[in-house]
Amino acid sequence: MGLEQFKNRNVGQQEYVLLDLEHTPQTPMGKFKQVVKRTFKPELFVGLGVTMREMINALFKGQMHTIKYPFEKLPISPRYRAIHEMLRLLESGHYRCIGCGLCEKICISNCITMDTRYDENQRKEVSEYTINFGRCIFCGYCAEVCPELAIVHGPRYETASEQRASFSLFEDMLTPIDKLNLQQEYDGFGAVTPNADENIKKTPLAY
Amino acid sequence: MSEVKTVENMVSITIDGTTYQAKEGEYILNAARANDVFIPAICYLTRCSPTLACRLCLVEADGKQVYACNAKVKDGMEITVDTPNILEERRAIMEVYDVNHPLQCGVCDKSGECELQNYTLELAVDSQSYAIPDTKREVKDWSTVLHYDAGLCIVCERCTTVCKDMIGDAAISTTKRGGEPLDKAYKETMPKDAYAMWNKLQKSIIAPSNGTDYTNCSDCGECTAVCPVGALTGRDFVYTSNAWELERVPATCAHCSSGCQIYYEKKHTSVFDRSEKIYRVTNEWNYVSLCGAGRYGYDFENRVEGKDEAAFNAAVEAFKKAETIRFNSVITNEEALMLQTLKEKMGFKLVNPDARAFQKFLGAYAKAAGQSLYSYDFKEVMVTDFVISVGASLRNDNPNARYAFNNIQKMNKGAGLYFHPVGDNLVPTFGKNIEVFTHKVGLEEAALYLVLDLFADKEKLPEDVKSYLESFKSTTTKTVKEKVMKEVTETVIDEETGEEKQVTKKVPEMVEKEITIEKNGLVELLGKESDAFDAAFEKMMKKKESFSMIVGEDLYFHDRAENIAKLIALIEQTSPVRVAMIPPKTNSLGVALICDLDDEATGYTVGYNENGDFRLSALGDGDLDMPAMNQQEGTLTNMHKRVTPTNAALEYNGYELNDLMKVLVGAPELTVDWTEKLPVEKGFRTAKFDDLPNGYLNDGTENRGYALENITCEAEAIAVEKIDENGVLEGEIVYRCNPQRQFNDFTDKAHEIFEGFGLYAAPEKAKALGEKVEIDFGGKSITVDVIEDERMEGDITALADFKSEADVYSLFGPSRYRKVTIRKV
Amino acid sequence: MEVVSYRNVETFVQHIPEVTALGVWIKAIIILAVISAIAGFGTYVERKVLAFMQRRLGPMHVGPYGLLQIIADGIKLFTKEDIVPQNANRFIFMVAPVITAATAFIALAAVPVFPDFTIPEWIPVIGGTFVPSIASDLNVGILFVLGMMAAGLYGPLLAGMAQANKWGIIGAARTAIQFLSYEVVTGLSILAPIMIVGSLSFVDFNAAQAGGVANWLVWKQPVAFILFLIAGFAETNRTPFDLLEHEAEVVSGYATEYSGMRWGMFFIGEYANMITISVIAAIVFLGGYSTEGLGWLWIMLKIAFFFFLMLWVRAAWPHVRPDQLMWLCWKVLMPIAVINVVITGIVMMV
Ligand code: SF4
Ligand code: SF4
Ligand code: SF4
Ligand code: SF4
Ligand code: SF4
Ligand code: FES
Repeated sequence: MGLEQFKNRNVGQQEYVLLDLEHTPQTPMGKFKQVVKRTFKPELFVGLGVTMREMINALFKGQMHTIKYPFEKLPISPRYRAIHEMLRLLESGHYRCIGCGLCEKICISNCITMDTRYDENQRKEVSEYTINFGRCIFCGYCAEVCPELAIVHGPRYETASEQRASFSLFEDMLTPIDKLNLQQEYDGFGAVTPNADENIKKTPLAY
Repeated sequence: MSEVKTVENMVSITIDGTTYQAKEGEYILNAARANDVFIPAICYLTRCSPTLACRLCLVEADGKQVYACNAKVKDGMEITVDTPNILEERRAIMEVYDVNHPLQCGVCDKSGECELQNYTLELAVDSQSYAIPDTKREVKDWSTVLHYDAGLCIVCERCTTVCKDMIGDAAISTTKRGGEPLDKAYKETMPKDAYAMWNKLQKSIIAPSNGTDYTNCSDCGECTAVCPVGALTGRDFVYTSNAWELERVPATCAHCSSGCQIYYEKKHTSVFDRSEKIYRVTNEWNYVSLCGAGRYGYDFENRVEGKDEAAFNAAVEAFKKAETIRFNSVITNEEALMLQTLKEKMGFKLVNPDARAFQKFLGAYAKAAGQSLYSYDFKEVMVTDFVISVGASLRNDNPNARYAFNNIQKMNKGAGLYFHPVGDNLVPTFGKNIEVFTHKVGLEEAALYLVLDLFADKEKLPEDVKSYLESFKSTTTKTVKEKVMKEVTETVIDEETGEEKQVTKKVPEMVEKEITIEKNGLVELLGKESDAFDAAFEKMMKKKESFSMIVGEDLYFHDRAENIAKLIALIEQTSPVRVAMIPPKTNSLGVALICDLDDEATGYTVGYNENGDFRLSALGDGDLDMPAMNQQEGTLTNMHKRVTPTNAALEYNGYELNDLMKVLVGAPELTVDWTEKLPVEKGFRTAKFDDLPNGYLNDGTENRGYALENITCEAEAIAVEKIDENGVLEGEIVYRCNPQRQFNDFTDKAHEIFEGFGLYAAPEKAKALGEKVEIDFGGKSITVDVIEDERMEGDITALADFKSEADVYSLFGPSRYRKVTIRKV
Repeated sequence: MEVVSYRNVETFVQHIPEVTALGVWIKAIIILAVISAIAGFGTYVERKVLAFMQRRLGPMHVGPYGLLQIIADGIKLFTKEDIVPQNANRFIFMVAPVITAATAFIALAAVPVFPDFTIPEWIPVIGGTFVPSIASDLNVGILFVLGMMAAGLYGPLLAGMAQANKWGIIGAARTAIQFLSYEVVTGLSILAPIMIVGSLSFVDFNAAQAGGVANWLVWKQPVAFILFLIAGFAETNRTPFDLLEHEAEVVSGYATEYSGMRWGMFFIGEYANMITISVIAAIVFLGGYSTEGLGWLWIMLKIAFFFFLMLWVRAAWPHVRPDQLMWLCWKVLMPIAVINVVITGIVMMV
């Protein structure tokens, strides 16, 4: 299903027609005329016609709207903010998160917590990372603030859980290493804008 | 005493059109800061010498471009902070700083409080005009606590400056980076100062100054505190938390009597353990410098599950049957007052050896001097230009005293006399004008007499003292060879004219001469050549205006403490020298003022953080748990004669002393309700705890708690006794003295403090002693490890006393030096 | 216009075997079972048709194409707790749904449903029994059916009044006015065809229209047909006249407090009524059935058409306000019906 129709948000430019509503007749004659008019106008049959047409369309022209969730799912907009995913670097497979803590700081519902440490390779290692999805309001700030495009919103929108607090750990969100080739780049909140190249200032870092 | 200080004249200056008052002789930068005017500056540290590394502080003063951190204010000076040219310089400087600076704010520990970040944003650097190949710069651990990431270093030299000018170790310095030379073309195109700064930056980097990879310093961590970027950090802290996550709890350091202002910075332990933990200690490093104990000894909290009622009831019973309470001075004023109240209501004996000795000494001093407290605090000491230290192992006893001693040498072109029996090779490096007397144990009186001799106005001295001092003087005649120019008149015949001429020539000739030399027997007694000292002293005294003296614990634990106290009072009376004392432990001064202490413990004893039949302990090893200092509110009296508040950084769920008080004699709701009850007659104020501030003002004014009042009392005529040379100890001597960074059980508990308990000895002595020794105190003995201390010299060894369990105090008794027999084991 | 004589009918009836009591019993059981099943199936069809018209799939998951949904619903209805509200009149509350269901099925007794047949001889006990198409071929069949359906008014009325619930009361009141009012229209509209046929028996109606589409009464009485249809919708409580239990206004009207199988009985009653009305319309106006060949299939189709029409209308039209409903009944339909009867009479006399 295409997304074109969702993307047109220029509501003001659609062509609305103002209905010419008749006034309630005052005289008995007027009322009689109205009754006659309504009785003999085939408006009711137009209604029947419409429903019949839709039924035929649905049954024979493949215009059935029903999506048999959960067996079928609608593709969602890339801007949709569902359960988070932690991405990996495509080249090395190392997780992208550098442990800067910006997501933790910006999170409006305080549901991100992380532990970092100085590891053997003199790098900052993210030793623990959790999001409490029971508290998350899916505002997308974390994805937007992340400088590494490490935390993003994935397409998994089924968030029901058995308990009010439902924690996801780093491993749960991280792209499995064997599925690295399936990892999708996210183009929603916080992603690089299409015109990003134009905004880069050139610096003579010749070296 | 402020009236002794030279009255600082105020001058008026104009900054950007507004007129301000400033102290005469102040640097423009400090004057601006004191008046809340912002001038960008990175490399300058208040209380240290300007290094002119960053050149950001450029301002225009009276039409000339000057560096605000290095130019002094003059009356009527017109200062402009931003001119187009200066703005261009500053922007170029910031761009240069950003050249090859790794873009790793995301992981950097400093992010959020980084001055490079701040100034880059402040000066709106959004593009880069300069470039140069980068040099590989390595990450190194300089010591057990220091972590240096050279890649981030902007070579502002704040670390080296503070280490040299304040701490005194001078353990780090700039060294060659080996970077590429700058492109010549920049010289023409770049603003001048930016180019000069870059030129220097490109050449240097920081490294331990001893040439190795390790600093071997006192591990105070002050360099990490002043570093404006993430280059220097505590090893334990690296990458564990962002600055903005940490909650700052303003407090007072609980380890020594300096009572430094600190912030405990805390957050939850981990994702899974939500209980709070202290991650680091920070300070207002422009105005106070910490030592390694303060900075790294923060995790000494006593975590208890909850209130242990059985133990509490047992404690109540113990108090009911006890005769004595034994404690040490690592307690708050409030707790001291509680113990005093217990003594008054229940008749306990209060035993606290360190505070007791200090109390007696202070009492003797007060009687002689007519004031309840010593004259100077250490802030006042710091602005003098001649400092004397007697009876304190400067390096170990008190960091702030040592920093003051060092800072005077560096900043005030000062001079110093250091009297101490234990040899130390760090103190002489503080400055060129330091004379170190490594005298015999027991001759502290002689040192004070020498001070009298050197500084006292002889007219004011009592006759007996005058003649006693004279008695040391002797004149000897000595034959010295001297070069004398002799005029010789010769008759020469002019060869051309044949005329005879009288010519006068000067010819050097060695003559034997008899001279009389005054010999000062005191100097000789203290182990120095009299005449050499005289010559040195003359040089030291040049252009000196203010004099101070630091006295330490050796004197309080001296057989002749009373006489010594009197001598000190006499020195103050007759000379311009003013005295500051180092209380032996954290709150010894407070305890000495608040409590009536007893000498001997009798009967059933309750120990508070000390040994006893029933033990209250904040170390978690007692019969009833007590909160540690980082879990308590309260006030401490520090050696600056200030009552400073400290706050609870971590939660404590158990019983406090106040809960016991409630049951035993009745008490107000909270511990801090005692604050306003502190004895006014001793100089305290009836101030509510919650009203006590804890910080510094922009001009460096200490705005913490309140200063004790120095109460004048009736002075007796001072009758001092002569030097008692019988007290001199010789042979195998042990000195009761802690290693640096260790003060008490609490510093020992902290995981980032590694100095062990044992017998510290100079390297050669240590080699001679072997690994483990038994020290026989004549009756009692103790077996300890021998630990080498490269900074020590001589034969005297130092036994640490920070472990209350080892009960070193009772081994030494009323003295800090003991003659012992040491056996290898 | 051809008038079918009573005698003709007599001879027609004589062709068929004798109707025994056992045959009637069997027929009754068949009607009960089959109509109940069809009512259930009707719910399925209704859901499906409505869904299709809204471009949905409707029930899909229970059984192939959701066919077993009916069974699932049945199980649900049977196993649900039977709740009687505290302040309800217990006896009446419990009896009311039975009235609805009973009247609906009793009405069906006089309606020809399914062809007659003889049970094969080899089946024991009942073998050889003749099962008639009408359980009880009354000569006043139409009157009986209409009367029974009118009596069905007591079901909702009593249910609504007995349950001590304001929505129930409103539902009951609406039942009374709607059913009573439209009874008049039904009666008057069907009067004209009766006048023409001159009999109240369905068999006579059927016979009167035998011989092809051209003979259907709908051509002679189009106005009566439309009036009857409209009134039929009202009588069966269908959109656009589903005011009795219109959930946007009165929660569930008279059925508010009902649950389980009692509610199910209302439901079955309603569907049985829909079938009855469809059958009447088919027989009275659309030529009924024929005993030969595929004649029975034809009437099935006709009934099915009416049934479908009801669903279709439901999908397309909004419902009317109660005042519009009354207005329509008394000011529009009733006068037209009267005029229609008068005109029919005049035409017949001329
Ligand atoms: S989406 Fe919003 S609420 Fe959820 S984790 Fe991210 S920042 Fe927090
Ligand atoms: S903002 Fe991105 S890089 Fe930073 S900690 Fe969060 S996920 Fe990691
Ligand atoms: S030192 Fe400052 S500018 Fe450099 S990476 Fe760290 S936070 Fe960023
Ligand atoms: S830790 Fe202290 S002594 Fe060591 S280098 Fe740093 S400032 Fe100097
Ligand atoms: S380590 Fe820090 S304080 Fe020292 S020179 Fe480098 S940036 Fe400055
Ligand atoms: S602050 Fe003055 S040169 Fe750096």
